[in-house]
Amino acid sequence: VTSSPDSVRQARKRLAAAATALRNRSRARTVDSLAALLDAWREPASPWQRRLVDALPAATGFSPENVAAGLARGLAPWTGDALRRLVEAELGGLGGRSLAFGFEQTSVMLAGSIPMPTLLSLIAPLLLHSPVLARSSARDSVTAGVFHESLRVVDPELADCLEVVSFASGDAGCVQAFLEADCVVATGSDETVAALRSGARASARFVGYGHRLSIAVLGPGALARNRLSEVAAQLALDVALWDQQGCLSPVAVYCAASEPGEKHAPDRLAEALAGALQSIEAQLPLGRLSTEAAAAVRRERDQAVLRRAAGASIEIHGEDALRFTVVREPDASWRPSPLHRFVRVHPLEAGALASALSPIARHLAGVAVAGFGDRAGVARELAGVGASRICAPGSLQVPPLDWHHDGMPVLLPLARVADVEMP
Amino acid sequence: VAGREAPERSVTRGGDPTRAALDEKVLTWMREPSWSRDDARFDALARELFAFQYERCDAYRRYCGARGRSPATVREWRDIPAVPAGSFKEVALRCFPEELERATFRTSGTSTTRRGELHLDTLALYEASLLPTIRRFLFPDLAADERMRVLVLAPAARALPDSSLSHMFACTLEAVGTRDSAFFVEAGPDGGTLLVDALVAALHDAARAGAPMALCGTAFAFVHLLEVMEAANETRLLPAGTRIMETGGFKGRRRELPRDELYTWIGRRLGVPSTQIVNQYGMTELGSQFYDSVLVEPGGPRRKLGPPWARVRLVDPLTGADAAPGAPGVITIHDLANTGSVAAVATADLGVLVEGVLVEGGLLEPGFEVLGREPGAEERGCSIAADVMLA
Repeated sequence: VTSSPDSVRQARKRLAAAATALRNRSRARTVDSLAALLDAWREPASPWQRRLVDALPAATGFSPENVAAGLARGLAPWTGDALRRLVEAELGGLGGRSLAFGFEQTSVMLAGSIPMPTLLSLIAPLLLHSPVLARSSARDSVTAGVFHESLRVVDPELADCLEVVSFASGDAGCVQAFLEADCVVATGSDETVAALRSGARASARFVGYGHRLSIAVLGPGALARNRLSEVAAQLALDVALWDQQGCLSPVAVYCAASEPGEKHAPDRLAEALAGALQSIEAQLPLGRLSTEAAAAVRRERDQAVLRRAAGASIEIHGEDALRFTVVREPDASWRPSPLHRFVRVHPLEAGALASALSPIARHLAGVAVAGFGDRAGVARELAGVGASRICAPGSLQVPPLDWHHDGMPVLLPLARVADVEMP
Repeated sequence: VAGREAPERSVTRGGDPTRAALDEKVLTWMREPSWSRDDARFDALARELFAFQYERCDAYRRYCGARGRSPATVREWRDIPAVPAGSFKEVALRCFPEELERATFRTSGTSTTRRGELHLDTLALYEASLLPTIRRFLFPDLAADERMRVLVLAPAARALPDSSLSHMFACTLEAVGTRDSAFFVEAGPDGGTLLVDALVAALHDAARAGAPMALCGTAFAFVHLLEVMEAANETRLLPAGTRIMETGGFKGRRRELPRDELYTWIGRRLGVPSTQIVNQYGMTELGSQFYDSVLVEPGGPRRKLGPPWARVRLVDPLTGADAAPGAPGVITIHDLANTGSVAAVATADLGVLVEGVLVEGGLLEPGFEVLGREPGAEERGCSIAADVMLA
């Protein structure tokens, strides 16, 4: 059901009324409820996971296998205890001197088709006792509603502090009503986030998450013949889970120069990755490809074929049905990916990491790293470039609950912190 | 305001007899006074041109080889491999020696983005294709010796020699424009500067004079003009019979406006009804252009039509075959005007076929409609798609 500006304002009114119940509530009780909720979601037989597995394929295009695996893996580390630790780490650390409050209302503009970030962005303001007005994503009309139902089962009072609305991003009246909150959280393209930021009240807290992408960087140790197939299988999992639709999906693999005579390492990795993507298709089939998405993949593939025909040293792996594509590029120059399991493999000269990544630095989220002797050094360099998460291949799609998404804490950006300075 | 300019005219083919013969056959078709959709003629010429381009352009030959196609295996023009339009950013697709290059048209872009390039050793086919086409679709009411005032919301060709659009307008002004026709954009970064005051004065003039005219330009230049008129609450109701030709998308622009809203706005501020507004679908990489059918077939369904020497396929990207009727497909153009480069080009746009309709006097030919971006495309979430970040 599409909301009108009036119904958005009515939702805000209901939230304001519901918020009075939160005033006398202890945060511990809320944390308990949300921790119990996460544990209920994590259960292998969770009805909530089941609901998403049933409904998301039609809404988002993901295969049911992919939704099931993505949820099971993604929720595994999101335990009730992890939630308690997150609250303690971010709010407990303030000490007795400072008090953290949620805003009167938090408007959350959901985007994209992956349920995991949606769950966390609904939980975070509630932990701070800020009622949430969520606009469901145009690409996932399901998750916010299912979360709301699950919350009602665990804690009806808290469930009254969440309203889910739905309107087109171009509906100026609804957008305006939505942006009247004193805290606004938005995810989307840099342009979308900038437009929402300019529409929010000057005095409001605005937390924007722009477009991000992830990559893998492999050192000689990961490219050695005895490790290659294992690393390729792990990267294939990172690529296949959520069909590269997330900011933690790797779109490019950089193979650092290894021993002399090993200059074919990128070729071998590309071949192994193609094999792994081919075989993972049986367990995690690629989802529905829209004509637009298929056209973009076909275009990039044909363009690679033409570049090769014009003399560039390029290898192209993939089959005709566009289930996956691996392009071994001639150099480290960045090229965008059309997503939907389209990966580029680049050779990387020694000492060239920072310059290779400079075109994407401001968009970088996660980096899967393996095969380096000096792991700490590589991690420091990647963090310096702009990465907010450095992890092992195979775990990109399993961020911990307290991951500093876009380099920010999870809860503190949504909080008003008051410092009390009294003897 | 820059004045009118005479386009350069020259035919150079460096003494290549195969090419000269091909050009002559295509030019003959372009010069015929009446158009006919001749499938056999198109197919024969397309395959002959393919054999020539396959032989002369190494990159294209190897590309066809990778797709398992050659003149020996191509049975009809639909089998001829199309290169993605983006290829013109990567590779110089030429079927003539580089030293014979006379003009290069470039796609718009900035210094940090790659620009597509169409290399030309002659402008003869380009001009021979564009003039009868724009006459048919924008000036169908103009007799051969009649002229009309043309105001252009784009830079003059002299100021922007690598813009195919500016070149097209220069040719149009020369062929059909009256002496008071002019350009109203000063070339510069980000599409140049619209000379709003001069343009509004010219529109005022035209509104008083009462003679129909043509207003041509990029869609975002029209948006800019309308924004200025809106802010000043100005209206210039242009004389009946005035037609507007707008072209180009809004990609990368601050403001995106659906076409029907643009047309309503034009109607309100300039008094030109949407039945007199023609969208041109063209690209730097192609010698021929396509136009909305509204002026040439008033009352028929709005759809894109082109000259008989340029054919369109809507291709299913999954199979490479023609899209099912009514289903969207990649707009793939086979343009015989592209003799010196590659004739078959897959665009980055999706379209649907618009069936021909039966009217009094016969069957109107089928055309196509260009589809906008998929709804919700801007709501991809946190992942970056290729079109968002251009390297």
